[in-house]
Amino acid sequence: MVLLKDIKDGIYNLLLGLGVTAKRLPERAVTLQYPDERWEMPERSRGIVVLLSDKETGKLNCTACMLCQKACPTAAIIINREKNEQKRWYPTSFTVDNTICCFCGLCEEACNFAALKMATMYEFSVYDQSELIYDMNRLQELGRDVPYTPRPKKKPVAKPAAKPAEKAATDKTVPEALAKTEEKPAADATDAKSTNMDEAPPRQAELPLKPDKPDSTLDS
Amino acid sequence: MELYGIFEAVGELLESIGLSGVWLSITVNLLVAAVLLGVLSVMALFLVWWERKVSAHIQDRLGPMRVGWHGVIQTLADGVKLLQKEDITPAKADRPVFFWAPVICYASCFMAYVAIPWGDGLIPADLNIGILYIIAITTFTVISLLMAGWGSNNKWALLGGMRSAAQVISYEVPLVVSILGVLMLAETMSMQGIVAKQDGILNWYIWKQPLAFVIYMIAATAEANRTPFDLPEAEQELVAGFNVEYSGMKFAMFFLAEFLNMFTVSAIATTLFLGGWNGPILPSWLWFLIKTLAIVFVLMWIRWTYPRLRVDHLMEFAWKWLLPLAFLNLILTGIGWYVWNEMFG
Repeated sequence: MVLLKDIKDGIYNLLLGLGVTAKRLPERAVTLQYPDERWEMPERSRGIVVLLSDKETGKLNCTACMLCQKACPTAAIIINREKNEQKRWYPTSFTVDNTICCFCGLCEEACNFAALKMATMYEFSVYDQSELIYDMNRLQELGRDVPYTPRPKKKPVAKPAAKPAEKAATDKTVPEALAKTEEKPAADATDAKSTNMDEAPPRQAELPLKPDKPDSTLDS
Repeated sequence: MELYGIFEAVGELLESIGLSGVWLSITVNLLVAAVLLGVLSVMALFLVWWERKVSAHIQDRLGPMRVGWHGVIQTLADGVKLLQKEDITPAKADRPVFFWAPVICYASCFMAYVAIPWGDGLIPADLNIGILYIIAITTFTVISLLMAGWGSNNKWALLGGMRSAAQVISYEVPLVVSILGVLMLAETMSMQGIVAKQDGILNWYIWKQPLAFVIYMIAATAEANRTPFDLPEAEQELVAGFNVEYSGMKFAMFFLAEFLNMFTVSAIATTLFLGGWNGPILPSWLWFLIKTLAIVFVLMWIRWTYPRLRVDHLMEFAWKWLLPLAFLNLILTGIGWYVWNEMFG
């Protein structure tokens, strides 16, 4: 009897196994034909570091505050800076050495000016190591089309800057207002108390303390 | 559209240009052999591609996609690559044995097709001992595997060859005994004769001999060295088994022979149990191909589902289970046949 049951179970399980593979057979493949097709990387995936420019003027957002250089654990970022006529710092060279970059994203986190970002690009194989050291022009070109949340235009003396954005939001109908806040969470950033944490604003908005400081120090 | 008309037409054409007697038959036979070789080579290439596709889709992959439509000529590209490879002979190999092993493997595989009915009248030679001939000639494969294992002077290859010899000889016994049931019912060993007895789907021997069919399929899987009975070439244990030292075209011959073997056992199963080329509307050769490829698909499906057996389980299964079952089937068939004949015959 035990033997018969074993045989019955054995046959049943063999058929069960065939059923599992048969179910897989018509399914869509989960793999991609890599060079022809590519995964769309998530917005916040950490690829190569790029420099962001103002969408209108085309100038770099970077104020050469050196925070990213200090934040970089592998010293992959090297910045040289000078002062312009208005006595404001600007970078004369901005080099990212991708041979030692560890893609930790600390530079992006340190930046208060939406000046650099880890883009979703991840393919940069080259034949010579020296080609992996990206200079400022190259980084700017790479960052040209990278979408990002710009910092509010006006001098962010907290309250006044935030108000217009708030008003605009309340004037509109609710879904549009929501869309707007999603588009420009940085506008809310200065007014951190009103920011709803459930809406998960981008990383910069989570650091409401800093935006004012570097600018004001530079102004003085 | 029946294909044997083409051969008759070619024969008449040759006759009209003055060939006659023994020369005519030699020419026609050579032509048939050439066509068969071509068809089988293409079939082997196709099967390799198909296996890769089936395995890929079972594992939610895509498989070969680059060369041709969905990678259909990928195997051809692989073959060209293998042609360019260096033909390596290990330093202390037994040279003649090492050289002839793949040749015998491929040839024995190919020779089985002398007696396999591809369609109505489409059989190179309708021997009156057809199935016996096929069983005998396909067993030659085991000699070539043993030769390859021995001649390579490599421990993995030798182990693979030994395993293959033990396995194929063990499974040959239940295989033949399971076939005997069909032969008793058909009262002939001629392949065309067996097919002729199975006109109409209800006359297929799979309905009268279901146990024999199951035993045959299991034993045939082992014969063709396919998972779950692929111990002779178990990658994880023996690297590649008997063909570990082979490279280039010699390896390709083993590889193609393996897939042809699978096609051979499926063709025999079709002929013996599934009514051969019998079928409505479509031409007979197409029916043969459809049925055979369906069985080939089941073999692939099994391969990508089950894990490999252990050596002692393998032997135990053959001798303690399959063989008694095959004999039981034989006895039951004999009794049933006798009773049927006494009552209705």
